[in-house]
Amino acid sequence: MAQSLPELESALRRADIRRRWWLSLPAMLVVLAAGIGPLLIVVVYSFLESGPYGDVVWKFSTEGWFNVLLSRDIFDDTVSLADAHLAILWRSVRLSAITTLLCLVVGFPTAWYMASRGPKARGLLLLLITVPFWTNLLIRTFAIQQLLRAEGLVNVVLMKLGLVSAPLQLLYTDFAILVGMTYVYLPLMVLPLYSTMEKFDFRLMEAAYDLYASRRRALTGVLIPLVKPGVIAGCTLVFIPCLGTYVIPRVLGGGTNLMIGNLIELQFGAGRNWPLGAALSIALVALVLVGLVIFQRNDRSGGDHA
Amino acid sequence: MLDETATATGAITLTRVAKVFGAFTAVENIDLTIRGNEFFTLLGPSGCGKTTILRMLAGFETPTRGEIFLDGTEIARLGPNRRPVNTVFQSYALFPHLTVAQNIGFALKMLGKPRAEIAGTVDRMLDLVQLQGRGDQLVTRLSGGQQQRVALARALAPRPRVLLLDEPLSALDQKLRKTMQIELKRMQRETGITFVFVTHDQEEALTMSDRIAVLSNGALQQVGTPHEIYNHPASRFVADFIGETNLLTGKVLRHDGDSVCVALPGGAQIKARSRHVLPAGAEVTLAVRPENCALAGPEAPLQGRVREVVYFGTDTHFHLDLATGTPLVVRRQNAAGAGPAPQEGDTVGVTLAPGGTSVLRD
Repeated sequence: MAQSLPELESALRRADIRRRWWLSLPAMLVVLAAGIGPLLIVVVYSFLESGPYGDVVWKFSTEGWFNVLLSRDIFDDTVSLADAHLAILWRSVRLSAITTLLCLVVGFPTAWYMASRGPKARGLLLLLITVPFWTNLLIRTFAIQQLLRAEGLVNVVLMKLGLVSAPLQLLYTDFAILVGMTYVYLPLMVLPLYSTMEKFDFRLMEAAYDLYASRRRALTGVLIPLVKPGVIAGCTLVFIPCLGTYVIPRVLGGGTNLMIGNLIELQFGAGRNWPLGAALSIALVALVLVGLVIFQRNDRSGGDHA
Repeated sequence: MLDETATATGAITLTRVAKVFGAFTAVENIDLTIRGNEFFTLLGPSGCGKTTILRMLAGFETPTRGEIFLDGTEIARLGPNRRPVNTVFQSYALFPHLTVAQNIGFALKMLGKPRAEIAGTVDRMLDLVQLQGRGDQLVTRLSGGQQQRVALARALAPRPRVLLLDEPLSALDQKLRKTMQIELKRMQRETGITFVFVTHDQEEALTMSDRIAVLSNGALQQVGTPHEIYNHPASRFVADFIGETNLLTGKVLRHDGDSVCVALPGGAQIKARSRHVLPAGAEVTLAVRPENCALAGPEAPLQGRVREVVYFGTDTHFHLDLATGTPLVVRRQNAAGAGPAPQEGDTVGVTLAPGGTSVLRD
């Protein structure tokens, strides 16, 4: 009846694993109910057929997925690339990438400034960074619209200064979308950058200067490699919501400069093509996953690099 | 690289250097000369300004007033990356994302040295600090003592004229610290580089230094060899800060060459070293180390009662109260044949070794 020691050990390990499963069960249920479940429903819808009156017919079809990237001519059934979709996809990726870059360029010095203040000033600055979150996103976006419109503050100032004679068309351009997204997502870049920089040992910069590094070499050789996790987290947190953003291009892009979010909304709304909307949604998820994998790759190579 | 052709370089002169932070004067009007190839220690309690001086030598702080010369060139306003001075930081400040070899080679890389030269120097440095074969490890995997050695090798690799060490041994345990004290001294001799060492540990300062500067409240108290500092402290602060000291007050009877004859209350007359000519009748404080006091018979000029006897193994401390009430500690070595030790409550005589007693400047 006596069990050998290895047997006892493995029995204990099995019991331990069982217990862990039970403990994690509530969390798993939440993930299942709130995350995977709805996503599966969307996947199912993407493989259904859209009916003639914008309803969804319970019949398997790949038409939704087909229409994500391709389009079939209604007269002669020739297949061509869906130029409009590709253009919107490309604009989404491009504007998100530029926004991420702008946030990084503005956010990096901001986070550095914050992290190099005293503890009291840091708390205040951190609070100030989060102040915009107190206001609804829609209101903030409309505020930007007010600034950029033809009679808005920016144009008035430019004209008063005599820099332009007629108001510039700022609103309803990619520029306006970029301004809006950069403004809205900047805190998401600053916060992770700040949290890694706060832990950064500033004496390492002194050590680098002491060992004959110029300011630039100290930055590229010491600071940036060490705050890379923050850079990657910040870029991920900005790039991914940018890809799916809906309100900002809607309000500042004026309905003509669409991004994927708007295209999806269109399929569920005016377009009445739920399977296509569902397929586009899943395509967006896939795109986000690709983005995540790229960012994580970078992170890992940063960790091993030595 | 460690060529000992050495006409001594790395001589530093500070002239009337002061550093003020807001309302706080960290360093005030310091004149100090550090010779080339010297192991020089800045010693003092925390907040005495020693670290500020070191940071001004490194270039992290700019003096508010005054000039700093390195081998005759004014460097006070040069950035840290533009002076041939390197620092071993108290926290080591090793680059955690780099290997041991990359840390050691960092400065050479910044100086744009060819790859082969960097590799050669790094290997020699690893030998010097006895970390052969550890070059490819990440510094975060090393023990505290090993990190310390890497920090040292990293700062020595570009062969600076002056190496600054900011309490580098404070994080090590007692035994390792003792070994590193000897190691540091050896490296200083082998490399012929001027070492400027900051510490609050008087024992560390005494064992390693060629010369010591004692600081207090941003001002220099005394500069001298360990022997001078210990045996002939110039001020009450130095006497008190370094080692154990008995303080006696008395009146000057007469001046005689470089010593004075002092009358203590109770009538005893004592010869003491004095750097200054003192007028007869002046009130002075004398410092005498416990090991320069000896127990004697009833014929001795000073008499006291034993209050406490403390046994230390190598020696015994006798805490006495002199007839005037002044406390005095006598240290006696516990060699065989030292004779019977007096007990608590006994009355004993005390003699002070000639030359072991100094007049303090207050």
